[in-house]
Amino acid sequence: MMKALKIILGIFAILCFQGCTKPIDFDQIDAAEIKANYILTQAYFNLGSSNFLDEFGIEIPLQNDVIQAQISGSSQKHIEKIEFTFVTQNSFDRAFNVQIVLFDAAQEQIYTFKPTIQIPAYSGEITTTIEIPKEDIAVIFNTEYFSFFVQLLPSTDGSVISLNDDATLHFKSYVELFLNYKTA
Amino acid sequence: MKNLAFLVFLIFSIANAQNKQILYDFAGLPQTLLINPGAEVSNKFYFGFPLFSQVAVQGGFTGFSAYDIFADDGININTKISDAIKGFGKSEFTELNQQLEVLSGGFLLNEKMYLSFGYYQETTILAKIPRDVIALLYEGNSDINRQYSIEKLSARAELLGVFHVGISKKINEKWQIGARAKLYSSALNVNSKQSTGSLATTFGSNNIYKQQLENIDFLLQTSGVFFEDTDVLTPAYYVKKMFLGGNLGLGIDLGFTHHFKKQWTVSGSAIDLGFIYNTQDVKSYGLKGDFEVDGFDLNFDDQDPSDYWNDLEDRFNEELVLDTITSKYISTRPLKLNAAVNYAFGKKLDNCRFDKRPGLYSNKVGVQLFSNVGAVHTYLAATLFFERWFSKNFQAKITYTADPYSFKNLGMGIATQLGPVNLYVLADNLLNLNNLYAAKSVNIQVGLNFIFYDKY
Repeated sequence: MMKALKIILGIFAILCFQGCTKPIDFDQIDAAEIKANYILTQAYFNLGSSNFLDEFGIEIPLQNDVIQAQISGSSQKHIEKIEFTFVTQNSFDRAFNVQIVLFDAAQEQIYTFKPTIQIPAYSGEITTTIEIPKEDIAVIFNTEYFSFFVQLLPSTDGSVISLNDDATLHFKSYVELFLNYKTA
Repeated sequence: MKNLAFLVFLIFSIANAQNKQILYDFAGLPQTLLINPGAEVSNKFYFGFPLFSQVAVQGGFTGFSAYDIFADDGININTKISDAIKGFGKSEFTELNQQLEVLSGGFLLNEKMYLSFGYYQETTILAKIPRDVIALLYEGNSDINRQYSIEKLSARAELLGVFHVGISKKINEKWQIGARAKLYSSALNVNSKQSTGSLATTFGSNNIYKQQLENIDFLLQTSGVFFEDTDVLTPAYYVKKMFLGGNLGLGIDLGFTHHFKKQWTVSGSAIDLGFIYNTQDVKSYGLKGDFEVDGFDLNFDDQDPSDYWNDLEDRFNEELVLDTITSKYISTRPLKLNAAVNYAFGKKLDNCRFDKRPGLYSNKVGVQLFSNVGAVHTYLAATLFFERWFSKNFQAKITYTADPYSFKNLGMGIATQLGPVNLYVLADNLLNLNNLYAAKSVNIQVGLNFIFYDKY
């Protein structure tokens, strides 16, 4: 019996006294970071000839629409980069520009996306990526109004859009947020 | 930050599905009656040292250990986090269970019946975390067409006091049965089970992508969590709630021991077959529905400008309905099932060394099974054990357990009796004693009793 007792106590002693931990460093947490990318679908439109003509059939050179949004700034400090992607397709024989301008709650213009999205006549699928630099990210979170300006550029041969024209300007977009959560 | 890291370690390494594989049927300890009310206890009477007759802490995380992340091995912590996430199963669970026996006692009513009673406080936190939720947080949602499912997301937390009284009755030489009635007084309950739904970003037709929340059905029931005035949340408040001032419930434990052959014994128990009726401070949230968005469809109509953002928000609230519910609800307690078979052998205990407990063998070897059902997951554990009575004053038990945390969990318990003073210490995961941080679970129980035996 004593032999068995000694064996059990011996095993227990070996387990207990072979050192309780291997080297561990909790300070490493200060170097930890989690990088996650989130995609959010954004605005899209499909504009036909009627969108560029007034009631008298006269071309409207500039169209505008606005999204009024309240953006939460809770994760702003973790955002490293914001990247907008726009995909356009144009079957008009006319070129367009799309410009996105941001306004604050006082309706003061605070930012313009650069470059302007250029859509040539009869263009197939064109992808334009606009990155918001890190120093401008705060502006996005101050934005109350996202304004989309679609400019119909003059034709080179003097032709105009007709109501019977079945061409369409397609515009699609999404935004990708690059987050980096740092513990330090 | 260091404190945060240590807290993470504690959460991940303390407390294990309430499997008390070492205590089960060990050394005739009175606390074995809390795991099997039909256990055989041979003392005349006992009382536990107040607040110290059973201090039990069990816990773990099946995903990875603190050592996996914080080992001082020259590897960048972000690489180690990434490796740990890659090794994450379809779902992993974490658990913390703590029990503190405040009062306990028992005595032999007559030759065949033993009455035991007491009060203990218990805290349980269980969470099952699907891999998809971790992926969504760690990687984001840029994996197009991937369905991020919340189907296995569930959680449970409880803080309660338990008044109990039990009887263990000897039917004949072969059978012993027992039952324990319990009155629960809950201070806090959080319950979320059977969530369904998924989130996905897929290629769209109107826009480049469309985003979908599909078949969302999520219910979070709480009592004693959300308050208008948090100043009431003092320690005294929780003590009052756990002493009959909280949400009340009833439960029962059942158990048996059967000597089906001369040296063979089978035993089993069902613990916490009960419920709590949550009537006070109830606030539950239900989220149900489907939602799909492909972006803001700009119409450039200056005659009738759209309020895109608010329209989207309104549609979201209509299609994905969030209900705040204050109606009472019933929460069941996690049911624990134990079963064991053992073979006793060795010298029969003689009157010299074991004059107070005749008729026993000095060794026991056997198998135990444990299951925790009705919690956020079904937990199964199998244990091989060897128990030896060295003398009437010293008993030891060694266990080898395979459970969701580890297939090599070595545990050990010792119980000593000096006069009426009985002290026991039980712990598992001893193979990780050389590196505690590498343990995915820990289970420690200590207790002090005063046990009095009949003179034979």
